[in-house]
Amino acid sequence: MADPVTIAWAPPAARYSLRTRAPQGLPPILASAPFADGHALGLGPDEWLLLLPDGTPPPVIDGLHALTDIGHRNLALLVEGPAAATLIQGGVALDLSLDTFPVSKATRTVHDGVEIILWRTGETAFRIEAWRSFAGHLHAALRLAAGDL
Amino acid sequence: MSGFRLPGRGRIDTARPVAFRFDGTPLTGAAGDTLASALLANGVHLVGRSFKYHRPRGLLGAGVEEPNALMGVDRGAGRTTANVRATTIELHDDLAVETQNRWPSLGFDLGAATNLLSPLFPAGFYNKTFMWPRAAWERLYEPAIRRMAGLGKAPDTIDPDRYAATYAFVDLLVVGAGRAGIEAALAASASGERVLLIDEQAELGGKQLGEPARWPWLTDALQTLAAAGVTCLPRTTAIGLYHDGFVGAVERLTDHLPPARATGPRERLHRIRAGRIVLATGAIERPLVFADNDRPGIMLASAARTYLHRYGVAVGRRAALIASHDSGYRAAFDLAEAGVAVAAIVDIRETVDRTLLARAKALGIELLTHHVVSATHGAKRLVGIGVAAIGAKTERRIVCDTLLMAGGWTPTVHLWSHGKGALSWDAALGAFVPEGAMEQVTCVGACAGAIDPGHGVHAEALWSPRDPTTFKAFVDLQNDVTARDIRLAVREGFRSIEHIKRYTTNGMATDQGKTSNLNGLQVAAGALGTAAPQVGLTTFRPPYTPTTFGALAGIAKDALFQPTRMTVIDGWAERQGAVFENVAQWRRARYFPQGGEDMDAAVARECKAVRAAVGIFDASTLGKIEVVGPDAAEFLNRMYTNPWKMLAPGRCRYGLLLGEDGFIRDDGVAARLADDRFHVTTTTGGAARVLGMMEDYLQTEWPDLDVWLTSTTEQYAVIALQGPRARDLIAPFVEGIDLSPEALPHMAYAEGRICGVPLRLFRVSFTGELGFEVNVPAGHGLAVWETLWAEGQKHGITAYGTETMHVLRAEKGYIIVGQDTDGTLTPDDAGIGWAVGKKKPDFVGRRSLARPDMHLPDRKQLVGLLTEDADTVLEEGAQIVADPDAPIPMPMIGHVTSAYHSSTLGRSIALAVVAGGRARVGETLFVPMPGKTHRVTVTDTLFYDREGTRLDG
Amino acid sequence: MLLIHCPYCDERRPELEFGYAGEAHIARPPKPDDMTDAEWETYLFVRTNARGRHFERWRHIHGCGRFFNAVRDTVTDRFERTYKAGVPRPGEADGWTGETGGIV
Repeated sequence: MADPVTIAWAPPAARYSLRTRAPQGLPPILASAPFADGHALGLGPDEWLLLLPDGTPPPVIDGLHALTDIGHRNLALLVEGPAAATLIQGGVALDLSLDTFPVSKATRTVHDGVEIILWRTGETAFRIEAWRSFAGHLHAALRLAAGDL
Repeated sequence: MSGFRLPGRGRIDTARPVAFRFDGTPLTGAAGDTLASALLANGVHLVGRSFKYHRPRGLLGAGVEEPNALMGVDRGAGRTTANVRATTIELHDDLAVETQNRWPSLGFDLGAATNLLSPLFPAGFYNKTFMWPRAAWERLYEPAIRRMAGLGKAPDTIDPDRYAATYAFVDLLVVGAGRAGIEAALAASASGERVLLIDEQAELGGKQLGEPARWPWLTDALQTLAAAGVTCLPRTTAIGLYHDGFVGAVERLTDHLPPARATGPRERLHRIRAGRIVLATGAIERPLVFADNDRPGIMLASAARTYLHRYGVAVGRRAALIASHDSGYRAAFDLAEAGVAVAAIVDIRETVDRTLLARAKALGIELLTHHVVSATHGAKRLVGIGVAAIGAKTERRIVCDTLLMAGGWTPTVHLWSHGKGALSWDAALGAFVPEGAMEQVTCVGACAGAIDPGHGVHAEALWSPRDPTTFKAFVDLQNDVTARDIRLAVREGFRSIEHIKRYTTNGMATDQGKTSNLNGLQVAAGALGTAAPQVGLTTFRPPYTPTTFGALAGIAKDALFQPTRMTVIDGWAERQGAVFENVAQWRRARYFPQGGEDMDAAVARECKAVRAAVGIFDASTLGKIEVVGPDAAEFLNRMYTNPWKMLAPGRCRYGLLLGEDGFIRDDGVAARLADDRFHVTTTTGGAARVLGMMEDYLQTEWPDLDVWLTSTTEQYAVIALQGPRARDLIAPFVEGIDLSPEALPHMAYAEGRICGVPLRLFRVSFTGELGFEVNVPAGHGLAVWETLWAEGQKHGITAYGTETMHVLRAEKGYIIVGQDTDGTLTPDDAGIGWAVGKKKPDFVGRRSLARPDMHLPDRKQLVGLLTEDADTVLEEGAQIVADPDAPIPMPMIGHVTSAYHSSTLGRSIALAVVAGGRARVGETLFVPMPGKTHRVTVTDTLFYDREGTRLDG
Repeated sequence: MLLIHCPYCDERRPELEFGYAGEAHIARPPKPDDMTDAEWETYLFVRTNARGRHFERWRHIHGCGRFFNAVRDTVTDRFERTYKAGVPRPGEADGWTGETGGIV
């Protein structure tokens, strides 16, 4: 039988924080949408995380905006499998049922005292971004909890 | 099986015997037993000694309300748990329990002498008696009292168990799986909603488990719930209810298993958010208050029924009942039908329901109405009771080994009260019941006051033919509080039930007064000459039952206690044998000892190496904020004291941040990368706070500014290279940047590449030496560090830690915010008034700097101190006085903020804040420290390289 | 743990994502230099310390990051309403009395 959940480090990625008051072609807050060769995650009313293939140079954005390279700020974990939501629910105080946290929803929140960006990439798949120095704690906490599912 | 187990009764499996040890004695029970039922099956009633008087105590209840039978459970090293109720311990093989609060043994307890001396121990006894002399309290009274009056022993080794935690979201949470709770869950089960049913017991069913006639219904109901997908969690106690449908519940996962089979977490904390909450928490029977109502063998009538029907145990051979409520008759009748002799039913009421009378008569039970139990007899087990007609002086003795008490029912409103739900007095019940609505919470069944069957009256302590000051009638069995104690408290002037509770400790034991609150209230009301509802109820607070610290901590223990932030270079430092210190949540290398060096030796070597050759330092923890947008300079100009608009791209500036009160909050160097882009650095500990403060002003005061802030603290690894050889070291690896002093002077910034990766290069110094801070994307940080380290060997490179960084900067008089400042220093106080833009119309904190108090000459100002004895390093925090012979209290004029031995200078140095300090330069002051008062000379804060020539290498 | 409605995310979110940020509707004076010391002191330190309805600032710090305002009852701990920064105090502009509704 396949593992109920797998936890894996995501490969390196290009990440940019995009800030603008004129979100042309960007998803609304708490949602994600394809962007260039990757995705844009709506984190705030004027804030998007652009997740792009590793090595992607800063995208050209029209209009008044701020773009900041944060490609190395985060590490990401891919949590996948039938028990993925159950595992993450152990440390996240948001309701992760599909009704309230559907596929493609993304938000900043907290897992067990660590600020994360939680992005549901599939019914049983999540990507969790955390600042680099917190990622080890996050990984250890998820691994420990996964053993108790 | 002993003679107390009744064949064919109960839900236990007598075909599966379970061996356990009770105070070392091997005993046998059956699968399905609790420790309490197994003890009773073995004829054991004596299960503990009381808290204060060491009186022998037996089982009062059959559930969580049990106040007497508290056990120490031993599951191996570090796995001892104190004060566990025998009624909630599921019997399992290898269970080992010890009784508590007795010495040398449960049967023969020397502490029981306190019972003979008990006239000396009234309410408030400790407060009144052990007052003088003060020193004796700590050395004599308290240790002695703690030995004599106490409960279980806390474990003294680390808990090796693991604990889990989760959040849960449901549409409906039902707390309590008795009849009302199950019916509530059934009603919702077909709706498709997420329904969660939790119960503290091992089996779902609540009191229905003690009603054999209801078992078929129970089986059907639980099957229906399972089929409907309702989640049912037994062994799960709702410990607290909070606003917005939030309930904390602890699920016990392994305590019911033999230790050898207990794998995985011991408990799981469920943090439940529910759309609706149904509280079906039932009710707890009340004891009655009369003389010596605490002997082993005296128990709640409902408990006797539970032991009979659920566990197939007769609680005695010959029982009597004292009742003020109809419900107790069921226990007497059921025991009689099971073959237990029932000597008498004593009822304080004058008239009793006809059907009860007829039933008693049919069973041949003597019924004494308008009577009380006036006395009880027996030492370690009840042997008889005295009964008297109310108002009469004559007493009659009845032989019995068990006395059942039926004082009516108290709805379990704890969770409702946690949520601040209102209560109203139900005169028929003699109890408080939930009133009105509360958010999404409703109460059902007995919890809501729907208690079946029968009626009763509600008295305070029972009438007695004897002088009530001559006997003990217990109200709170766990804290040994008597009716007399409560009356005494009222006589001594206490009126509020909250004060009476704290003075007498009634209801303050580990059971939170589950069987004593209402009786205590009735006694207090009687003494106050008022009605119970006017006296009111004390406040229930979480947790409902005692909860392990482990359950509350969850996974936050050991390495996961809290996140330990580590830089990408941390592993390298560890391999080099670095000694670490914690700075905020970061772990930072403090120094790198070599060959058995202590810290002083290592720091001296590291300092010399930086001044003589080059040092390498991991500065990655520095806070970094990228400030981007056309108004970036305008924004920084408003936030920081310094002027920013004229700073050219490619240049850096020291920035000083104040609070609006004018006091220093943070500092750091910022570089202008482009017209619309700054790279701002903050202190390590201030990073999040500074970003939050900037966001606050930006979002709420100046939302019109076109600028955005992004934390880049962790985007870059920062490698500081400091010392005369720093340029030579990095030059071979840097591309695209002219490193010459002319092209890249002190406080310049440039971008290029180093070791093939993108580089943000700051020419800055926190040591006074030629210095560079190499910022590279964090993922490349270790590789760049290792390359520079290898190349640096030919330049005499030395790795240094935070301690050396502190010494080097102190030699130059550079402040550390939070060490040399404490939230009360202005820029001028700290000697960095030059960093304040005098021509700026406004910046955060500017108006406060204009207050007259900010310019008083005797403000504490940062100065240097040199000790008379060059080898003496002052204590940081030591106070400074002008006259060491002044009478005590000696006027203190400042304190030491930083002090080190400087290997560069060959002597100690210190920074300090001193009242009017700059006008005192050259004066001699004194620093009293343990053992000696040290003479110091006031200097300015610059100890080394006064001309600043070393900055250019 | 309370649920707090973030007016930017338009969701009720757990309290642990938020930070409290003091009393609301105390704007930084546009010209601090024109204020007396007493007026400046009032701006810096004097707060209503309400028992009951309190207008206060919160930040969805571990969410969208935005500061916003809330009406909370300091006795019951209930959030009566939350609204975006810059919106006038409820009641002044919209006639809200707190008796009904509000965003919850």
